[in-house]
Amino acid sequence: MTSIVDKGAPAEVRPASKTARILGVAALALAIGIAAPWLVASKLTLSLTTQAIFDALLATSVGFLVLQNGRVSFGQAAFFGLGGYAFGVLVARQLMAPELAFILALALPTLIAFLLGIVFARITGVAHAMLTLAVGQAFYEVAFRWRELAKGDDGMSFELPERFFGFASRHFQDPAVMVVVAWSILVLALAGLALFVNSRVGQIAAAVRDNEERARFIGHDTTIPPAIVYAISAFLAAIAGLLQATYNGYIAPQMFHWSLSGSALIMAVVGGAQFIVGPAIGAVCFFFLKDFAGRFAEYWPAIVGTVLVAVTLLMPQGMVGLASRAWTGRRSKP
Amino acid sequence: MAIQLLNGVVYGGLLYLLAVGLVLIFGLREVVNFAHGALFMLGSYIGYTLAAAGHWWLGLLVSVVVMAAVGCILDVLVFRSLRKHDHIVTVLITFGLLLILETVVTVTWGKAYLSYPVPKLLAGTVEIAGSPFPIYRLFIIAVSLLVAAGLAAWLRFTRMGLYVRAASTNAHVTSIQGIDVDRLSLVVVGLGTALAGLSGVVAGPLLTLSPTMGNYILIDSFIVVVIGGLGSFGGAFIAALLIGQIHNLGAIHLPWAATMLPFLLMIGILIWRPTGFAGSRT
Repeated sequence: MTSIVDKGAPAEVRPASKTARILGVAALALAIGIAAPWLVASKLTLSLTTQAIFDALLATSVGFLVLQNGRVSFGQAAFFGLGGYAFGVLVARQLMAPELAFILALALPTLIAFLLGIVFARITGVAHAMLTLAVGQAFYEVAFRWRELAKGDDGMSFELPERFFGFASRHFQDPAVMVVVAWSILVLALAGLALFVNSRVGQIAAAVRDNEERARFIGHDTTIPPAIVYAISAFLAAIAGLLQATYNGYIAPQMFHWSLSGSALIMAVVGGAQFIVGPAIGAVCFFFLKDFAGRFAEYWPAIVGTVLVAVTLLMPQGMVGLASRAWTGRRSKP
Repeated sequence: MAIQLLNGVVYGGLLYLLAVGLVLIFGLREVVNFAHGALFMLGSYIGYTLAAAGHWWLGLLVSVVVMAAVGCILDVLVFRSLRKHDHIVTVLITFGLLLILETVVTVTWGKAYLSYPVPKLLAGTVEIAGSPFPIYRLFIIAVSLLVAAGLAAWLRFTRMGLYVRAASTNAHVTSIQGIDVDRLSLVVVGLGTALAGLSGVVAGPLLTLSPTMGNYILIDSFIVVVIGGLGSFGGAFIAALLIGQIHNLGAIHLPWAATMLPFLLMIGILIWRPTGFAGSRT
């Protein structure tokens, strides 16, 4: 087990009861999330949890690309930033109804990722990592240099309109509300990914990941399914960026920066990129560890680096992989 | 115009010094070293500490020696054990190293921007095509050309250079032929990181020192390596000069697009030839 990329779940036929189970777990998780604001009194905890969920969404989007396409992206922040910027800029200039801006901010990154995916899916390994890095930094440079767009390096604050999707917009900046919204979106996203993995398109994408040539020989289209995976992954990153921009009422070029892409990738790998929930768990653990290690903030990057080196060398399947192995090991004991 | 072209060669030369280190390490160890920019930055800080005390040339020497030692340690402790892993794992691990090195420098030297002195011997300007040009920049060009020529001669005419070229083509087959690739790679990785230290010191007076100074130039040198072709020495040289010119001429004539041009060139080249223009590997 030396690779974190190649060893995804093999394509297999799964019973329909799997779908029911996924939906059941998702419903339970949603219920817990909706109850959370009544169970947790501290606004600070709720606010931190909300931020952690944004990170979890971004890490999920990076991890899903590793899981389903076997590609490592160093530029996922491009779609995170694009979601946030598209919304922020359109709302700040009042070019259209905020609801329309919301939809556009999700559609645009998804479409761009789909088109890029058609090309990127042909490129593997290190070249792919470099290419995504370059594309991500190209977006960063635009946001950084183009001062008329959103004040360049300074970032831009924007006001939400009075009402948004029929609710008073201050709710969207209230942690007690946003934590439920973000959590529900995360749960739905994870359930959706689990369903996609079992779908026909998902299975073909997995087949292309495992062996592109054979998948083509048995008559599958090997361009569109991986491109759909890119689009889904970008869609999730855009949601995360959009939610964060809405919640903070602020956008800045750092949303595009490759260090954000890199840390999302780290969270995904540490959590376990071969599992749909792995990246999200990794992100949440990292977020709270970071908060806890606040006293050592100066040393934080070194802590992250050490954890990353240790995890990739010692447990390439990540935290969830370790947990699931411990679990099956315990159950199989006589 | 001559001045503009020369400035492009200065930046291209610096890129070459970094890129060729990446190529050396990738060739022997198949490691894409994300920590290379951090090593460049560390080398620059080590040199700075002595240069600020008035010993610029000693700083250069110490930085090169220390970075060579760091490279040997990295090779033995980290890169050697990465042989059986695929490229992406090595990318993640060197990314972790980058974070560790950045923290070490931040804790030791602080986050403030520092300015690097120019050695007295190389201060002043000369007149080229009617305009003044800093002697120090000519020095950078000379250093990178010397390194390029020395490296090419070493690879072409010595027995060890032959082994390095063989191992860069296929390390496994080379070791079957009875060549100790581990010992070879100790030298090669040490040389690669020493060049990172050298370029860190040499670039110091042109840039401002900060713990993140390596990131920007690292991305440009990755672009050079990918465009030139992973594992190709000649490709890296040509690509470095090309990116140096694009970087400089772009900044003057197309300022709004300047920082995008290298990315666009790389995206175009990768789509046209995923191995880069002189490479045979992905």
